[in-house]
Amino acid sequence: MTDLIQMIVSGIATGSSYALMGLAMVIIYKTSEVPNFAQGEMALISSFFAMMLLTSFNLNVYLAFSLAFLFAAVLGCFLEFAVLRRAKEPNVLGMIVITIGIEMVILGFVSWKFGAEQKTMPFPIDPYDSLFIGDIFLKKLDILTLVSALVLMVVLFVFFRFSKLGLAMKATQQNSVAARIVGVRTNRILMVTWGISSLVGAVAGLLISPTIMHPYMMWDPMLKGFAAAVMGGMTSLPGAVVAAYMLGIIENLFGGYISIEFKTVVAFVIIVAVLCFKPSGLFARHYVKKV
Amino acid sequence: MKKSLMLLVVSLAFVLSLAPNLFAEVGVTDTEIHIGQWGPQTGPAAAWGSVARGTGAYFQWINDNGGIHGRKIVYHMFDDGYNPAKTVAGVKELQEGTGIFAWASGVGTSPGMAVKDYLAQNNVPWVGPAAGSLNWVNPPQRNLFAVYPLYDGEAKALVRYAIEKMGKKKVAVAYLNDEYGKNGLRGAQEELKAHGLKTVAEVSFEAADSDLNPHVMKLKQSDADMVLLWTTVTHAAKVVGISKAMKFEPQFMSTSTCSDFPLMMSITKGAWEGVICATFGELPDSDYPAIVKYKKEVFDKYAAKEERWGLFYYAGILFVEPMIEALKNVGPDLTREKFITEMEKIKGFKGLGAEVNFKPFDKNDMYSRQGASQTFLVQCLAEGKAKKLTEWMDIK
Amino acid sequence: MDMKRDYYEDVRLFSSPAVVFWFVVLLGALYLFPLFAENYYVYVANYIAINIIVATGLNLLVGYTGQISLGHAGFFAIGAYGTIILMAKAGLPFLLALPGAALIAAGFGFFLGLPSLRLEGPYLAIATLGFGLTITQVIGRVQLFGGREGLHAPDITIGSWIIDTDKEFYILLITLTIFLLLFMRNLIRTRVGRAFIAIRDADIAASTMGVNILYYKTLAFAVSAFYAGIGGGLYAFVLKFIEPEIFTLMMSIMFLAMVVVGGLGSMMGSIAGATLLCWLDLKLRNILSIPYIGDWLEHLSKNWFSITGVSNIQFIVFGTIMILIMLFEPLGLFGVWIRTKKYWRTWPF
Repeated sequence: MTDLIQMIVSGIATGSSYALMGLAMVIIYKTSEVPNFAQGEMALISSFFAMMLLTSFNLNVYLAFSLAFLFAAVLGCFLEFAVLRRAKEPNVLGMIVITIGIEMVILGFVSWKFGAEQKTMPFPIDPYDSLFIGDIFLKKLDILTLVSALVLMVVLFVFFRFSKLGLAMKATQQNSVAARIVGVRTNRILMVTWGISSLVGAVAGLLISPTIMHPYMMWDPMLKGFAAAVMGGMTSLPGAVVAAYMLGIIENLFGGYISIEFKTVVAFVIIVAVLCFKPSGLFARHYVKKV
Repeated sequence: MKKSLMLLVVSLAFVLSLAPNLFAEVGVTDTEIHIGQWGPQTGPAAAWGSVARGTGAYFQWINDNGGIHGRKIVYHMFDDGYNPAKTVAGVKELQEGTGIFAWASGVGTSPGMAVKDYLAQNNVPWVGPAAGSLNWVNPPQRNLFAVYPLYDGEAKALVRYAIEKMGKKKVAVAYLNDEYGKNGLRGAQEELKAHGLKTVAEVSFEAADSDLNPHVMKLKQSDADMVLLWTTVTHAAKVVGISKAMKFEPQFMSTSTCSDFPLMMSITKGAWEGVICATFGELPDSDYPAIVKYKKEVFDKYAAKEERWGLFYYAGILFVEPMIEALKNVGPDLTREKFITEMEKIKGFKGLGAEVNFKPFDKNDMYSRQGASQTFLVQCLAEGKAKKLTEWMDIK
Repeated sequence: MDMKRDYYEDVRLFSSPAVVFWFVVLLGALYLFPLFAENYYVYVANYIAINIIVATGLNLLVGYTGQISLGHAGFFAIGAYGTIILMAKAGLPFLLALPGAALIAAGFGFFLGLPSLRLEGPYLAIATLGFGLTITQVIGRVQLFGGREGLHAPDITIGSWIIDTDKEFYILLITLTIFLLLFMRNLIRTRVGRAFIAIRDADIAASTMGVNILYYKTLAFAVSAFYAGIGGGLYAFVLKFIEPEIFTLMMSIMFLAMVVVGGLGSMMGSIAGATLLCWLDLKLRNILSIPYIGDWLEHLSKNWFSITGVSNIQFIVFGTIMILIMLFEPLGLFGVWIRTKKYWRTWPF
């Protein structure tokens, strides 16, 4: 019994970082319908930026993190403004290839600047400090990640539902021509979206880096986050978060009780199964395509 | 008939006149010896890339100290990104374009395996692949000399020490699901069997795994008092860290790959303290004379400022020392055949690493091409310092 | 553009005698190439030819049928492992083992095609991506497939012809490539090909006109997987050694990039895309030996970046080239070609 509870708790902990990446992907997809493959690397460069501020410039942690968040937001806006907006007659596949290109460029820059050797980021919480409730343990860093994911989800949900900017984003997604006619500057909206998304991704990156940093550290969280976003319906923020926790828990239970060998890929098998029954994911309303 | 014979002779003469160096050796001129190496400078395995850079600095040092019998080493290092297709492309390009006398080291089992047959067919010497794979010497190959000790030997040494010196009984193995990990597992199993014991848990890791909680739980459930980590550096660091978070505190032991204590201490934020590792060379910060000399004369002088005098970097020197020794012994008249003969004559050679011994080629004896079979154990102390637990010991 | 006057002109393989002439010249050049080239270039040509096969197959799926796949490395792996296993364990000759393995890949393609009936866009992307990752994981766990330790490719013999050099393999490979390309070109211009295009442009409209969506979507997946399987089977013999870690997600992404960069829905585009990206992939590591630029980059690395990571510049260049092509020419290299042709045809007006 303890084991079962422990696995569920660990699953929730793992799911939190998937949830953050999932949220970031959903935000961009919601407004521009581009699955952003550069999401992980955008978070990566922000994390390494924070580490550079901490170790080379000896800044205080809170200042360094604030600057890293600012950097992430500016980076997101810049990429939308300088790259994606410049695409002529964009089709979705072309946009995907562009995001893959961005991913390679950022990965190249990070590895060029910081090298490939594993590093770790100084952080006020030791990544291996834990709390015990009975026999169940939970790392303090995981608690922080969990809280961040939930808070961000609520904030973003409220933001999209009630704020003027959020409504404009929704309008842009549903019918960008009509949105422009009623006076929404869709270009600017898209830029802000990218900024917010990059910021959310950076939170995930910064919470992963106190453990171990290397240029490929964001691949797995990004893929799992993407998977969670898809399972949650790609446009639903709570959907992505719920799906991310489901994936985390299922992975842990599967690893614990069935087969640790196939733990990493079980998520994808489940997704295919889920999608066969709910082709638009668990939480998205299914829009019927018109001919 | 006569006419065609004439034609043959004439054309043969023509061909010979075009190729004045036909009888000289490939990759050797009066002033140069061309030596190549591949090493991942990009991609997920790039942390290993410092092996190739270490070799480069060592060769530079040799050149600046007069070279080998008046010849300078021209070092061709290329980046294969740990992708075998690129390794093959690069090796063929250099071998057929520039002409390489011999290949040094080279990181990784699968890149090496992809070019192994090609180098064998062309009888190009290849010394010290940077992976302890059984594939290099089983079956042995005339042109290929392995310097890296076999992983199962390291595992045996560790398990033996745990049982005999530390009185551990319940041994669990965490291994990467590939040749490296499985060799470690096999070594541990054999040694345990010799003591009438069995592993209490065998947990396998995939290279792509990033959430290791379930793995560590498995280890904890087995209630092991010694855990042997045969995984990547990142995984080993995380396992030790998560175990600390779980208050699961067995004796951890690990392979030479994870014996870079300053690095391990920094990425585990101190949790690595007390871990025992096998190692294939003298320790980077020890006062062993050759280490001190190389650190001062090679590393301090030729390494880039971001470089670290870590395990992989000086391994780049260690793996090619026997090669340089043989090149020196051949004398001024250098050919591949003579080089291979000199390599075979290497006996009791002591560089940075284990004693190296080769024998004349015998296709039934893998130790004719497996040079090193010694290791010693070290324990990690605070601040990444190391304590030598044993002297060099032979394990076959 | 030339006016077509009747149906047969439309379906002809070669539109004029001049095209036939140039095609023969090209064939001759391709077959004579190994006589003049160094072994290394023949190896590069082999590597590119295999990628062309896979890109052409993937183009059928992505460019002509409008589906997406991020799992083609999985089919590639099935082809590679299938061919070696069928030869080594079942004792089949190469010329049977290769299509046999490709058929197995096609079978997997068929099954992966089934969910594609209901999935599209990112949903299909993640399903195929999951397939690619799962396949290598499974292969890495099965001892029959050599696990993570990998497998050696046996020698190929066809009759009394033993293929053990790159040049001999090139002859075999180029023959297969030309055959597969011609087959694809014909397939696209048949009823089947037009059904694929109809599905891409509007699947519901196509189905109301009587195109069997179930049949054609799964067929597109199966044919595409077959091509990837053939490519994989041949790749095993170019490398002579395979292990699961070769068939990464990055490989699937590169296949997709070849098709998109080359130009969706164009065979010439796939060929050009595969050639360009493979060539860049193999050659960019030499970027530091370019005069001036190399020195400048080294200088830059020493002062601002790190000299140990200097090789990563190749990623930056690679990514930038991909971005630029897609930004300025959504039709990819094929679009560039069309524009150039148009420009010269009407020149100087």
